[in-house]
Amino acid sequence: MRPLIEFMQVNFAYGENSVISELDATIFDNECIALVGPNGVGKTTLLRLATGTLTPARGSVALKSRPLDSLRQREIARSVAFVPQNVEVPFSFTVRQFVEQGRTPFLKMFGGLGAADYEAIRRAMEWTDTWRLRSRIFNQLSGGERQRVKMALGLAQQPQLLLLDEPMQHLDIGRQFEMIDLIGSLRREGIAIVASMHDLALIEGTFSSVWLMSLNEPMQQGFPEDMLRPEALENAFRCSPRHRLRLLERTRNRLERAL
Amino acid sequence: MVWKVTEACMESSHGWVQEYRHRWLLAILAVLLVLAVLVAAGVGAVRVPVWHLMGSVLGGESLSADQRVILFAIRLPRIVAALLVGSALSVSGLLFQGLFRNPLADPYVIGSSGGAVCGASIGVFLLPLVSVAGFSTTAILAFAGALGSITLVYWLARVDGRTPVVALLLAGFAVSTMLSYSSYFVEVLDRGFGIDMRVLASWLHGTIAQPTWPQLAIVAAMLVIGLAGSVPLARNLNTLALGEEYAAHLGLSVQQIRIAVIVIGSILTAAAVALGGLISFVGLIIPHMLRMVLGPDHVRLLPATALAGALFLLVADTVARTAIAPAELPVGVLTALIGGPFFLYLLRKTKQEVMS
Repeated sequence: MRPLIEFMQVNFAYGENSVISELDATIFDNECIALVGPNGVGKTTLLRLATGTLTPARGSVALKSRPLDSLRQREIARSVAFVPQNVEVPFSFTVRQFVEQGRTPFLKMFGGLGAADYEAIRRAMEWTDTWRLRSRIFNQLSGGERQRVKMALGLAQQPQLLLLDEPMQHLDIGRQFEMIDLIGSLRREGIAIVASMHDLALIEGTFSSVWLMSLNEPMQQGFPEDMLRPEALENAFRCSPRHRLRLLERTRNRLERAL
Repeated sequence: MVWKVTEACMESSHGWVQEYRHRWLLAILAVLLVLAVLVAAGVGAVRVPVWHLMGSVLGGESLSADQRVILFAIRLPRIVAALLVGSALSVSGLLFQGLFRNPLADPYVIGSSGGAVCGASIGVFLLPLVSVAGFSTTAILAFAGALGSITLVYWLARVDGRTPVVALLLAGFAVSTMLSYSSYFVEVLDRGFGIDMRVLASWLHGTIAQPTWPQLAIVAAMLVIGLAGSVPLARNLNTLALGEEYAAHLGLSVQQIRIAVIVIGSILTAAAVALGGLISFVGLIIPHMLRMVLGPDHVRLLPATALAGALFLLVADTVARTAIAPAELPVGVLTALIGGPFFLYLLRKTKQEVMS
């Protein structure tokens, strides 16, 4: 286990509004982390801090023991890929042209794509089962297809760490299962993953650990079976105890194992 | 097994068509461009038949003295001017559309041309005899005007890293109107001389006047600089289409690219305005038509846009000067008549975004 990303005493605020305070955490290689917490707690902010596109107000973030602010964004993007929640593309790019953008951090100013780039693109698209979509227009894809194509762009960066911002959003249940399978297979390929997740029932079995973020409290880390206990979730999400049964239903895996 | 092989063949032939379509288009455009030049050189009050031209080019049959004067002193400069202006306008349109991530951005619509006219008129009326490093003040001030106005519009129209259509159009409209009409102020200041009034009027209508060869050389140099600068930017505009934050994550220096696009786009706008004045919508029509054929990849669009823009404006200018001969139509009127409806059609297509 080697550390990929280390957050050291990280603080971040949007103006006056403090989002992340005194965060200490480490993402190791071959870890698969589910980022869980209520809306507005700073899950996306944490992911962006890990990509270097946001800089902490205090504290520092390091990639493989080198501070992010000493690295060029191109270098970071060769190790860390970020898959955003929503992408708006104003022109009708094909899926393939879209995925090709994942090679941006490897290209020289005047150079085009080379054989190694095409290889990486093809591999990323086969992995995500998007190769057959390659001539389609990105803007005309369904939500599930779009999500997989965005993953393909991230994988074309040949990253060691893949950051997924709400990968299950807008997916029907079947596509959610496919996405979980994909995350599992990437994990077996040795890519570390951090994904912000709202559907708690999908976490156990695929993710190796859970980072539970709650408002005004330090983040908690642990194995999924420890972190997804109703008491911890009630506290983090501020659910009233009278909804406990519903909460248990949402983490059904645990319930069934308990029975 | 068999169907797998056929599938592989189809796949590769499909890929082949995709791969070579843009080269075919470039070849077709180049041929059309040569034909258009020959026709444009031939038509007018004094006809110079195409075979006479061909003969003189090939060194055989030569032209009469009259034909020679008309060709080299009148028609060719104007043809070259139309080619340069069309190319510069289209490519700057392509760059601005990539920058604003909006297919409606055109140097005229977003006020860049207006700024250039204002700068150029200061150059012509107030500082006519000064030149810097061979470039007349007209060209330099046109560049400064274009640069200033596009920076202003960019600053006004951006909301949270995005450029909503409404904001872009309103900011562009206001800046453009303000700057192009303040050219009249400059003219009033210059009443004492009064010789260049007609120049301003034709500028505001968008006319390709009778340029001299040195003027053409300056503008050609600006076009070459602009095109050369656009080449490394094209691929970056593809990445920028994903949005600024995503592009920044992928290692694009968004701020530098933005500045480079604004500067290069302004050089091209200034080049076009210095010769042709306010010619509207060319930068809108050409990139859009080519996008329908080639897709949105800026790397492929760039050379095709440069050629197609030159071709389009040469044809438009030739029609403008011959359609109602002996009178002449300003070419800007013609492009407005063609481009206006086109602009409205595009606006309608993006109405959803406009209303939100």
